[in-house]
Amino acid sequence: MDVLRALVSGVPLTLGVTACAFVLGAVLAVPVLLMLRSRVLGVRVLARVAVDLVRGIPPVVWLFILYFGVTFGGWQFSAFNAAVVGLGIISAAYLTEIYRGALRGIHVGQWEAGQALGLSGMTMFRSIIGPQAWRIALPTVATYAISLLKDSSIASVIGVTDVMFNATAETRQGENGLVVLGIAAAVYIVLSVPLAVVSRMLDARMRAAVAR
Amino acid sequence: MSWLTSWGDYFPQLLDGLKVSLLLTGGALVVGLPLGLLLALGVQAKRRVLRFPALLVVEVGRGAPALVILQFAYFGLPAAGLVLSAYAAATAALVWGVAAYTSEIFRAGLNAVPAGELEAADALGMTRRDRLRFVVMPQGLRIALPALIGIAILIFQSTALAYSIAVRELLSQAYSIGSSNFDYLSVLTLAGLMYAAVSIPATWLTIGLERRITARS
Amino acid sequence: MTATTGPDERQDMSRTSMVRLEAIAKAYGDHQVLTDVSLSVASGSVTALIGPSGAGKSTLLRCINLLERPDSGTIEVDGDLLDLGHRVPAKDLAALRRRVGMVFQSFNLFPHLTVLRNISLPQERVLGRSRSEADARSRELLERVGLADKAEQHPSRCSGGQQQRIAIARALALDPQVMLFDEPTSALDPELGLEVLAVMRELAAEGMTMIVVTHEMQFARDVSDHLVVMADGRIIEDGDPRQIMSDPTHERTRQFLRAVLER
Repeated sequence: MDVLRALVSGVPLTLGVTACAFVLGAVLAVPVLLMLRSRVLGVRVLARVAVDLVRGIPPVVWLFILYFGVTFGGWQFSAFNAAVVGLGIISAAYLTEIYRGALRGIHVGQWEAGQALGLSGMTMFRSIIGPQAWRIALPTVATYAISLLKDSSIASVIGVTDVMFNATAETRQGENGLVVLGIAAAVYIVLSVPLAVVSRMLDARMRAAVAR
Repeated sequence: MSWLTSWGDYFPQLLDGLKVSLLLTGGALVVGLPLGLLLALGVQAKRRVLRFPALLVVEVGRGAPALVILQFAYFGLPAAGLVLSAYAAATAALVWGVAAYTSEIFRAGLNAVPAGELEAADALGMTRRDRLRFVVMPQGLRIALPALIGIAILIFQSTALAYSIAVRELLSQAYSIGSSNFDYLSVLTLAGLMYAAVSIPATWLTIGLERRITARS
Repeated sequence: MTATTGPDERQDMSRTSMVRLEAIAKAYGDHQVLTDVSLSVASGSVTALIGPSGAGKSTLLRCINLLERPDSGTIEVDGDLLDLGHRVPAKDLAALRRRVGMVFQSFNLFPHLTVLRNISLPQERVLGRSRSEADARSRELLERVGLADKAEQHPSRCSGGQQQRIAIARALALDPQVMLFDEPTSALDPELGLEVLAVMRELAAEGMTMIVVTHEMQFARDVSDHLVVMADGRIIEDGDPRQIMSDPTHERTRQFLRAVLER
């Protein structure tokens, strides 16, 4: 059907926004995490306020602020960039919390063993704690990635021509809204299936690996 | 700062928008929470006739983006003969979201009640209904409360999406002010802070409740 | 419910036999947990059910109030017979559970209710007693187990031994004819266990029909007047406690007793 083709043509942008925002967030979350664990009170407070503020404001509002609000001279974010930066920053805030939870999940003995062996903080993090934290965090991160995929649809509101945008366009052009939006919903659900499968596999593998 | 003066001008109109957002949230919770509880029981029902529709409602409600469901309620339903006002469509869409997400939370909460207590209730000869009413629900709902508040916060933030179907909630008001005087950043920032002023304390409440519950057990 | 019919002997026995299990079998997948188990418990007697872990003792006990559904066999409680090959009607199940009280290893009190409410609620819902009737009876029973002052508190404020005594009161509040105990002291420190055993001894002295799965050999020897030894899903000894303990028929029993009494 033409409708299906029109919707599917939006998939690359949907996946593009999701992937770029996710990568940005996953990377950004690390310095934020370090700031939250800093020994300097001011740094910790700043990071905490920033994270809470980012998560306390709806994603669509952030996108509006970046797209309509941020101008330097004549320069503006493109819709795609605004979406990626906005969702990326929001992802960083959520992923920081997920990483924190994962770190808390590591047996305290691991830290002590590392210290007893005289390993430096960096080495400990990189070789012992990091890999374990990653393994614990992975299922939750995968779940978050799925919700990010759905949130990418918000980019349509500022004009990114993703699946959602095309669905709205088709409906406004007179196509049967029930059908168009029903298919759009199905497209998003189908796109999330690989992530859900991977998440369940990782969850099972993690449980087996950690089981004593 | 000129921002503060302009914020003073914008505030009343934004406040009207915030009221609409809060009303939408409240309405969605009032209708959606009982539905979520029903769905939680429904997805565990033994009879397929009950289980399958419940599963469908939950999986689609959770799997489809909120924006899709919103537009479906407003643009899609008329094709099936049901025309809703923007406000009603937004409420309906949010109700579906509340019901779908909270069903999982209720399910987890109800199942968290120790099996031994269920056996004790059975051994005492209590009916399944009494067991649900006096043993499972009081404890299960208490356990579920923090997560439920989390969903409420999420739904409140989702009301901003109703902008796309012209509901006069907070974001719409902010955008209309911004587009009339081209000073987007200032008014959008104020709107953002107003959302945060509701979301952040609510989040602290959730964390506080969670701590109290884990402390008790 | 079917009344028993049959030869006079059986009628005689069933008048004094409070609980009769006939040919009970239960399997979980490939694992046969109970094989052809038959047991008769006389009214007013205390039956101790002992044996190595995995013998099926708890499973058998839980078959009596149908917390476990046997695959086949019959259960008769105070003359009312239930054939377990077929589905048990809800009415019969409810009647059975009203006559049979149970005390669990992990007490299973309702933590969100006060102690008094724990005991009163089942009376109100299952027996239809009024609030005041139920509360009066509850206080009576709490007095009896020595915990009258705990009525308005929550179970979490009580020690394990106290919780178990409350659990006993809760089961007694429904005026059962038979009381089942599933390792009532296994989760308790020895001292706290003594409180519970004391209550159980009193109950026995008052003539309650009791079936107790236990590892407490002293209780089995001193208080019970009927000893049943199980192993590998079957009953291997069934009779007088002192006689079995001093001169068991099976080598398996001997092994078990030796291991247990040497601790």
